[in-house]
Amino acid sequence: MTTRIEVLAHIDDGRAKTLEKAIKAKGKSAAVRVADIYTSEHAKASSDAFTQSLANPVTQETNTTPNDFDWALEIGFLPGVTDNIGHTASELLSLAGADNDNDVFSSRLYYIKGNLDKSDIEDIANTLSNSLIQRATIKSAAEFKADDGMDTIIPHVTLSTTGNTAADIVDLNGLSDEQLMEISQKGIQNRGPLGLPLVYMKAIQEYYAKQDKPATDIELETIAQTWSEHCKHTIFASPIDDVKDGLYKGFIKRATKEIRAAKGENDICVSVFSDNAGGIIFDDNYLITDKVETHNSPSALDPFGGAITGIVGVNRDCIGFGQGAKPVINRYGFCLADPRTSPEYYRDKALTNPILSPETIMKGVIDGVESGGNQSGIPTPQGFVTFDDRFVGKPLVFVGTIGLIPRTINGKPGHKKKANAGDKIVVAGGRVGRDGIHGATFSSVALDEGSPATAVQIGDPITQKKMSDAIIKEIRDLGWYSAITDNGAGGMSSSIGEMAEQSGGFHVELERVPLKYPGMAPWEIWISESQERMTMAVPPENTDKLIALFAKRGVEATIVGTYTDDERAKITYNGETIMDMDMDFLHDGNPETPLTTTFTRGGEPEPNIAEPSDHAQTLMEMMGRLNICSKEFISTQYDHNVQGTAVLGPLQGAGRVYAETSITKPVLTSEKGVVLSQGLFPRYSDIDTGAMAAAGVDLAVRNAIAAGADLNQLALLDNFCWCSSDEPERLGQLKRAVEAIYEVAVKYETPYVSGKDSMFNDFKGFNADGSAVKISAPPTLLASSIGVIPNIDRAISLAPKAVGDLVYLLGATKDECGAGEYYDHLGHTGNNVPETDTHQALRLYKLYGRASRDKLIASAYALNHGGLGAALAKKAIAGQLGMDIDLSNIDLRTDKTLYSESTGRILVTVAPQNKEKFEKNFKGFEDLHQIGHIAHTNKLSIRNVLDADIKALEKAYKSPLSEY
Amino acid sequence: MTAKALILAGYGLNCEEETLHALEYNGIDGKIIHINDLIETPKELESAQILAIPGGFSYGDDTGAGNAYAQKLKLALMDELRSFVERDTLTIGICNGCQILTNLGLTPPTGSDYGTRKTAVTYNETARYQCRWIDLKITNKSPWLKGIETMHIPVAHGEGRFMMDDDTLKILQDNNQIAAIYTKDGAPANGEFPYNPNGSAADIAAITDPSGKVLAIMPHPERGMFTWQRDDYMEIKDRAQRTGSTLAETADGMALFANAAAYFGVKSKQAA
Repeated sequence: MTTRIEVLAHIDDGRAKTLEKAIKAKGKSAAVRVADIYTSEHAKASSDAFTQSLANPVTQETNTTPNDFDWALEIGFLPGVTDNIGHTASELLSLAGADNDNDVFSSRLYYIKGNLDKSDIEDIANTLSNSLIQRATIKSAAEFKADDGMDTIIPHVTLSTTGNTAADIVDLNGLSDEQLMEISQKGIQNRGPLGLPLVYMKAIQEYYAKQDKPATDIELETIAQTWSEHCKHTIFASPIDDVKDGLYKGFIKRATKEIRAAKGENDICVSVFSDNAGGIIFDDNYLITDKVETHNSPSALDPFGGAITGIVGVNRDCIGFGQGAKPVINRYGFCLADPRTSPEYYRDKALTNPILSPETIMKGVIDGVESGGNQSGIPTPQGFVTFDDRFVGKPLVFVGTIGLIPRTINGKPGHKKKANAGDKIVVAGGRVGRDGIHGATFSSVALDEGSPATAVQIGDPITQKKMSDAIIKEIRDLGWYSAITDNGAGGMSSSIGEMAEQSGGFHVELERVPLKYPGMAPWEIWISESQERMTMAVPPENTDKLIALFAKRGVEATIVGTYTDDERAKITYNGETIMDMDMDFLHDGNPETPLTTTFTRGGEPEPNIAEPSDHAQTLMEMMGRLNICSKEFISTQYDHNVQGTAVLGPLQGAGRVYAETSITKPVLTSEKGVVLSQGLFPRYSDIDTGAMAAAGVDLAVRNAIAAGADLNQLALLDNFCWCSSDEPERLGQLKRAVEAIYEVAVKYETPYVSGKDSMFNDFKGFNADGSAVKISAPPTLLASSIGVIPNIDRAISLAPKAVGDLVYLLGATKDECGAGEYYDHLGHTGNNVPETDTHQALRLYKLYGRASRDKLIASAYALNHGGLGAALAKKAIAGQLGMDIDLSNIDLRTDKTLYSESTGRILVTVAPQNKEKFEKNFKGFEDLHQIGHIAHTNKLSIRNVLDADIKALEKAYKSPLSEY
Repeated sequence: MTAKALILAGYGLNCEEETLHALEYNGIDGKIIHINDLIETPKELESAQILAIPGGFSYGDDTGAGNAYAQKLKLALMDELRSFVERDTLTIGICNGCQILTNLGLTPPTGSDYGTRKTAVTYNETARYQCRWIDLKITNKSPWLKGIETMHIPVAHGEGRFMMDDDTLKILQDNNQIAAIYTKDGAPANGEFPYNPNGSAADIAAITDPSGKVLAIMPHPERGMFTWQRDDYMEIKDRAQRTGSTLAETADGMALFANAAAYFGVKSKQAA
């Protein structure tokens, strides 16, 4: 018997009101009621106890239909899609006396009254749901009445099992190159691509020619996962031109190595590039860790699912650092197209499968990080949004997590771990479904009962929170496991495979893995990317108590095999061996694929433009540009002070300016703080990727220094999001960027501690008239900085503090508007992209560091998009204080003085009593310019240039995205 | 004197560590206890004087914030919780803890209604999570709030809107059970966003049981207990540096926990 429980919310419901508002925004009018629906086949689901546990009698009624409505719209999940509300309801059903294995499915019903026709309701359904993961059912009041309500739907997964074979044989012997590539591209029996180049396929064929048995499907799937670009980072690892070591070893890792050697005893690095995150020294007792991931492709299809899976996924990287670090701060970053536009592109030639609108993507990714971060109890103070219309088909979604871990745990270094032969393989957390199989490749075919949402996943933050608490707050310190790692891309095939490199082999008994639903093939279980799982190596004597403690915390943990030292990667399924490979071949058998590059500088001749006739008007327009305007609406929905550790938040000053840098005190009893920031300038790549990358790294460093971070205790993370990385020109752009970031980091002595790449951010589809288009995201380096401020009382915010304070511009302003906000505003690219003078910048940062240590600086802002003009306006808005500025001593035409994006500059205010000490501190530094003072006015006044009312500036700055 | 506090944890509660810090800072012996452990050893409640249900996202707010955790407590521990609040003890629910307390019916309109849900804390009027600093006026005589007139502390919630029928509201008002209201420039916010961040009826931010010893409060005092946690810390710090004055270590939120210590005659470490 199926029970359907409808919980109707009070007429005055925030969710209903919000939908009414959205309908109104589209020029219609409607009254909405919302009901939460729970459906279950379990006998106990019809009990009063269960029904009562679902509804709050003060605001909700059960199984009541409103009298007056024109349309009913119900949205539920497709089979196999993670249903967190249903999951909680099923726990309530257990409390009401059901056994633990019961399913409750949630859906939401909207009763809508208003003068709307069916197509209006379909539009509403489209804004409320995503057809890739959800179903929407619409009934008119008459249909509702005739059918006696909505339909009862149980979204069961039913898989057609393929016979009894545990694994299929794939005989590669004698296959031609074409046949090998067909398997690579279409997959084994068309199951989805392995995505391996011919040289790899031939290496595999060669390996099996020497074995006494042919390959199995699970072996090939495992090799494909292990050798994928995603896991092996082959582009960064391969020899490139004359760089035999490749870009990663030859530049990025080498930079860190050289910096560590140069710093000697003052080396801050403890764990770099070898673990799930990078770790540096915080204080005598703790390390801080950092990792930034991307989740671009999934977010293009299901923005909410892609982003939430991303954020809870990178939380696990933190939990999987060393013996387990506690997540203490989240980062986010989105590169998006203009949400106010509606570009028309399709995935298919028949123009039936449109891309999601920029607004839908923006809202979805923001919501995804909100859900994942807030529910996990991790503050999310740090982030950015960058706009460029070329992110239309492939948004970039960055997510990061900072961790805190004791330097010593149970007498052992906290960052060290090793899986030993004989240790049991224990997997804890969520169960395994078909989620994320072949996650890198997407099908445009509609999903049905037979293909349950394999491509997209939705995170389950509470399942993960329970697991995370059990590990970080209890089990880690009991010392019950010898190693731990997370399950991300490639699922168990990656996590177990990588840990087994420490012991020298593994034997997994795949039938032991708990599944969400029956009927999965072994290879699917093995590479499934189902979320919320950690893998541990547990000495046999500890497994019982470990599993029991997890159970007590509501977490399922299971032994799935044993780590061995026989150098074999072995899997059995109900006793039958389905995989048995050399560990060595699996991990190091992929042949080298040398790359060659070309490079051409982009850009156009510098444009011949006139000075604006009305500078105030231009400044207003600049402040409203998407890359400059406020994103406050994101900050207020991200919990940025949970854990009680926020020192300097995302909104600074009385005027609440959206800031680039945050400070957090992760240890309540320590005076030290963690300073986080980032820098990126994707559009600079239109002229020179080297300038783009250098500017990004410089800004990440400069932002942190400006807020008071100690340059000696500052580290970097690199995230490359490139496009078309199979083209020599794109690879040439990449090489140039990597060379640039090597030089900047070595000069500043700020080591890279972690990094990630995503190399094919291209959208291939069709425009409205059916012609093929390819839209490539601009080559983007995101540089993220993590540093330590020795005492939070040295923290410096961007908001000016007092009338009479002096305003100084530190650093040189050059004729560098190329690919910047000002030229783009005028429709030009230009040629003079900002070049980073690391020598001058380093001099400034060292002098600045001394001044900030001596507390001589009242406020500081590192200039970035929109240059000095945007910086002055943001300061005036933040402080709600007037400014009298005189730029006549800067030898550059006014518009370029205001909007040049020259790097290495900081705008500061200084209390008059500190003037002398401050200027003495910078003695000999030629680029110190006193340009005015904080005034007792309500205007930003630039002598002979403009007078701008602060309220008007604030409106220009805050209004563009205020309605989102 | 000493007092023992239990701070609940598990299933997505997440503010237990900073809540523990707030209590310990004032000399109270605190212990974080997972709900399943408390269910296993309910006697722990008998030796405790303070129960704190901290903020968080228990069960992901699914089926209504605080509902599922409250159902779990209700089934396993309702009698023990009732005896606990009937003794001379103090109970506080902050944010998700506030939602749990109201779902448990432990902050009821009248003494005889323990265990009955009369007030709901539901979706913000904006239907969006709000993390922002607000101003509170303290409006009753709960031991938790003794001597406090106003507080500048943050809210962080998606479901913080107190709702109830008119009769219940009247009882709460007549009995002085409304503990704190949102204000704008010192006057009631009168529902105006963002001063009242969630559309709460009568600007209610916190309520108590009739005795005042059970406090259900949506804003987070433990996130505004040190000066450095304040949203205007940079401005306060700058003023102190200019005038050469010393910065106060604690801020508004700490008073609440200090009151709890004082109620049981515990000398805070700072005072000692």
